[in-house]
Formats: sequence, structure tokens, C-alpha cells
Amino acid sequence: MTETWRLIDLEYRDNPFMNMAVEEAIPRAVGEGKSPSTIRFWHNSNTIVLGCFQSAKLEVNMDACKETGTEIVRRFTGGGAVYHDSGNLNYGISLRKDHPLVPGQNLQSVFEKLSEGSVQGLRKLGVKAEFQPVNDIQIDGKKVSGAAGSIRWNTVFHHGCILVNSDLSILEKVLNVPKAKLEDRHVASVQKRVTTVRDELGRDVSTREVRDAIVDGIQSCYGVGVESGVLTKEELGLAEELYQTKYSRLEWNLEP
Amino acid sequence: MERWADYKALGGKLVRVRLREEQGQIRSIRITGDFFLVPEESLGKLEKMLEDAPLREEELRLLVNRFFRGTGAQGLGVSSDDFVKAILSAQEV
Repeated sequence: MTETWRLIDLEYRDNPFMNMAVEEAIPRAVGEGKSPSTIRFWHNSNTIVLGCFQSAKLEVNMDACKETGTEIVRRFTGGGAVYHDSGNLNYGISLRKDHPLVPGQNLQSVFEKLSEGSVQGLRKLGVKAEFQPVNDIQIDGKKVSGAAGSIRWNTVFHHGCILVNSDLSILEKVLNVPKAKLEDRHVASVQKRVTTVRDELGRDVSTREVRDAIVDGIQSCYGVGVESGVLTKEELGLAEELYQTKYSRLEWNLEP
Repeated sequence: MERWADYKALGGKLVRVRLREEQGQIRSIRITGDFFLVPEESLGKLEKMLEDAPLREEELRLLVNRFFRGTGAQGLGVSSDDFVKAILSAQEV
């Protein structure tokens, strides 16, 4: 029998802290067997999302964030800082650790496997998307999506952001990109090594169109069904608790 | 004395080390960066293990290897060798 994944379109566009609390509540519930395999799509208004090991002080230009009204939130997964705006589509996939699609406990294999749905979705739209290890999706050598994830709470969790029609000019203002990161790429700026789905397609494209294409990609490449659903009361309660005790707090978001 | 390093790992990720050294020993250390490490909480254990360690390759390698073996932690975009090299490359500021 074909498995049906729960599809959640729940977001707090102007509250990136609550968005991240929901992001953590879902895999916890999935791992406990209280919620089914889930894919969630969501947006943030302008926000920097830091990897859990990053230093806000080193990575973020605080003055530029104040000037541009950019919020800073830390996620619970590793990887690098990303800039979100409403032209950036976020997705998160939560599967139990023993789910047949999970390719073992190797994080690299997980990233590759769980990026396939997005890669296929982007290809359906007409761009030559490919997975690029460690955690990127590229089009002609330019990054269009970055992923992160974790294996914990009895869950394999994978999330990513796709630059659909984001304003890339803000990115370089709000993020301090260390010289060491750019050196081996032979490019002088972040803007030159990232792209958007809009720029690659050469036409206007909405995040909804990309979301629909990824839903198609997921169904065809993993052989699963997808059905719209909502968070359980327990997930919402947990998200609210995580919001209060973790994601709304400066010590979580800005330290070390 | 304070020492800093921004070390680009072979796996492509950045390891940023900020440490305080006294008489050739690490007094405190903070490791940040855009790498992956699961379980995520284990990084604090590594930092703790490195406190009071001598800033010498042999001892650091032993400790970092012991950390990975003992915790079963999995790095991605960064290896035990990268952590050692990052610490050793920290320059006085």
C-alpha cells in the first residue's frame, strides 16, 4: 500500500521564532510515532537563519540587520547561515528513523536522498537542478538551495530553503561571509555563486508554483501520496513551549 | 593569550576556533562553524575535553579521536583531522 505523507502549509511569516519552533515540534512528534511522515512548507519575512554551531557575532552584520529589519534565529541543525525572505521557500521532511526511504544513518546519504524530491520538482519546472554534496542543490554550478538536517528523536529530519525570487542584494549586507569561504570558489561575492529559480527560468515564478512542483517531485520519486493536514494539538503545544523556552530567547539565537 | 583560526576543512566547511592559551595549554575553547555534527550536543563535550589540553598535535589528535570514538558522533563536511588542524592553526590575536 502506498504511504501517504502529511502535507503541512503552516507558517508564521513574521515570526521566524515560532516558525522554527514548529520545525522542531514536528520531527519530535514523528519520532514518537504520534504523527505520520510529514512534509512542511513555509516562509519567513527577512530573517537570517543561523546553523546551530555558528557564532552570531562572527556571521552576522548586526547593524545591517537593524537597518533592514532583519531578524536572527538559530535552527537546531548544523550547516551555514542562510538569508530568508518571502521569495525563499522552506521545506522540512520528517521521517521515522526506520522508514524504508531512509538510507541508513549516514547524514550525507540522507541529504542526497531527501533532496531528490526538490531536485525532481525543480527539473519539472525546467531548470537543470542537481544535488551537489555536501548539502546544496545547484543549477549550472550556482547554488539555488541549501539543506541541513539531523538524525535525532528517532527521526531523520531534512530541511532546505530554495531561492525562488529572493532579493539577493540584501544577503551580502546582512551576512559576514568569511574570506576563507570564498577563496576556493574563485568568485568575489556570494551573489555570484548563488542564483534564483526566477533567474534561471527567465520568468516570474511564485513560491507556490515551486512548492507544487516539489510536491509532485516527492510523489513521483519516493512513490508516496501526499495529503494536506494540520498540526496535532500536541505538536502545537510543543511548538508553543519550544517558542517560549528556546526560540524566542536571545541566549539561544545570539550566543555563542 | 587569545588565539583565533578560520580553517577551511577538506569537506568544504569552515571551522572557526577561538581559544585562550596559557603556557602551551588550552584554558578555554569555542568551536563554531557551518559544519554538521550529530548528535549536535556533542560539540560541547569536545570543547570540554579540550580544556587544559596541551597545544600539541599528538595530544590533540588523541583527544579528538577519543571524542569521536566515545560519543559515536558523526561529522559531515568536517573530520577529526580538520578539528585538530583548525586548533593548531590558531594564531595569536
